[in-house]
Amino acid sequence: MSYQDDLPETKGYSKVSVVISAVAGLALAVVSVWWAAGTAVFYEGLFRVSPTVAGGGIGTDWVVGNTVPWLDFLVAIIHAADVLMGLFILLMVFIHWAAFRRLAGQMQQPGERSTEAVATDGGETE
Amino acid sequence: MTSLDHGKFTRVTTTFHSLLGLDVFLLFFTGYSLTFNDELWWMLSLMGGPQSVTALHRAAGFGLIALIGFWATLMITTDTGRSNFREIIPTGDDVKAFIQDVQFALGNADERHPNAKQFAGGDPDEIPLLSYIGKGVVFIFAAELFLLTISGLLIWSKTGLMQYFGTKTAAMGFVVFHGLLGVIMLMGVMLHIFEHGLHPAFYPVEPKAYIPRELIPETHADGGIEDLTLSPSWSTVTAIMGILTVVGITSVMIGSVFDEGYPVPREISIGGGPESLLLTIGINAGMFVLFVGLVLSMYGNLLRVRWERQLEEERSQPTAAADGGHPESDDD
Repeated sequence: MSYQDDLPETKGYSKVSVVISAVAGLALAVVSVWWAAGTAVFYEGLFRVSPTVAGGGIGTDWVVGNTVPWLDFLVAIIHAADVLMGLFILLMVFIHWAAFRRLAGQMQQPGERSTEAVATDGGETE
Repeated sequence: MTSLDHGKFTRVTTTFHSLLGLDVFLLFFTGYSLTFNDELWWMLSLMGGPQSVTALHRAAGFGLIALIGFWATLMITTDTGRSNFREIIPTGDDVKAFIQDVQFALGNADERHPNAKQFAGGDPDEIPLLSYIGKGVVFIFAAELFLLTISGLLIWSKTGLMQYFGTKTAAMGFVVFHGLLGVIMLMGVMLHIFEHGLHPAFYPVEPKAYIPRELIPETHADGGIEDLTLSPSWSTVTAIMGILTVVGITSVMIGSVFDEGYPVPREISIGGGPESLLLTIGINAGMFVLFVGLVLSMYGNLLRVRWERQLEEERSQPTAAADGGHPESDDD
């Protein structure tokens, strides 16, 4: 990289050691939390707010059951809308994902240096 | 900086978009840590428990109403705003663009329809201001935000609502409605983040949403996508983010079926929804996608600041190269 020629050379870290250190750090975090919680970390046993009526969760005193028919119907409609829109949005994600992969294929691959007067970021050279 | 693309947003629009995004993210994080409290219990605790979360949600809701009111006024009272209405009307070309996108994804078409292109490339006249998906975003998000605001205001004061409907649970039924309605928006925003963060030509974010149109020279984007070089990390990051987005959308969709707004289930079987490890991981993956969106929004604004500074430096010293030096190229 010629543009860096006059910049100071520094001792860095290899990719492998960075990855190993990251794994070590994560492992330490997991093990220490696991140990601190009495070796019984359940995915929702950590800092759980009581989610049940018996446990006195949020709005326990509201719970009787829904008795308004049209409101019940409205909720059912929205359930259906959630699923239909969810499937449509998933379809859009897949279409775009596939389109992006094709577009990426049309671009110059990283490392492949064009002999044309094109800068590495694809911009025009001045 | 070809990946700037043609500018689309005005300066006010970029600011509005960032503020709206921040506000909606806050509404998502507060609202869905309540709805999906089985899966996002940690988020609920992190923000100070249910009382704190509902207070934050109301504060963000107030912000949303102010933002919507600002935008509606601006669009109706200004010429620039009114001229936008024609741009968002869906046309036959948008349907064609959708069909061609499916074919392009399947490999049966050689390029995307102009109404689908995010990368404008050559002629700005061929590319409409909004792609078909951009129009969809405007319509769906506008309708969602309107309905969410109305239902949110209805449930603002539960005691007020109870006077109309007689029972506490009817009031809470509206809370369920409000939460389930927002799930569509939640899934849509995940798509929005994937779509505008991981386009290979713009990765990791599309600056045109953050850099005002007035600051983007119109000559910079001559040439096609084949002139651009793919970022080395694109494939890996897109694979990871694609999987997280799909898992996130699927999980909140499934979660919306079961977690229908505890504490009021439709049947009187009370337990707080299914406690499934997979769903917990999936919904948290979705929240991570939202978090990435928040970070990308900050990054986009950082790019704007840097671009403004660079442009200012370049334009204020036009003769800098005359002393035998060479003009700085904008290759970063």
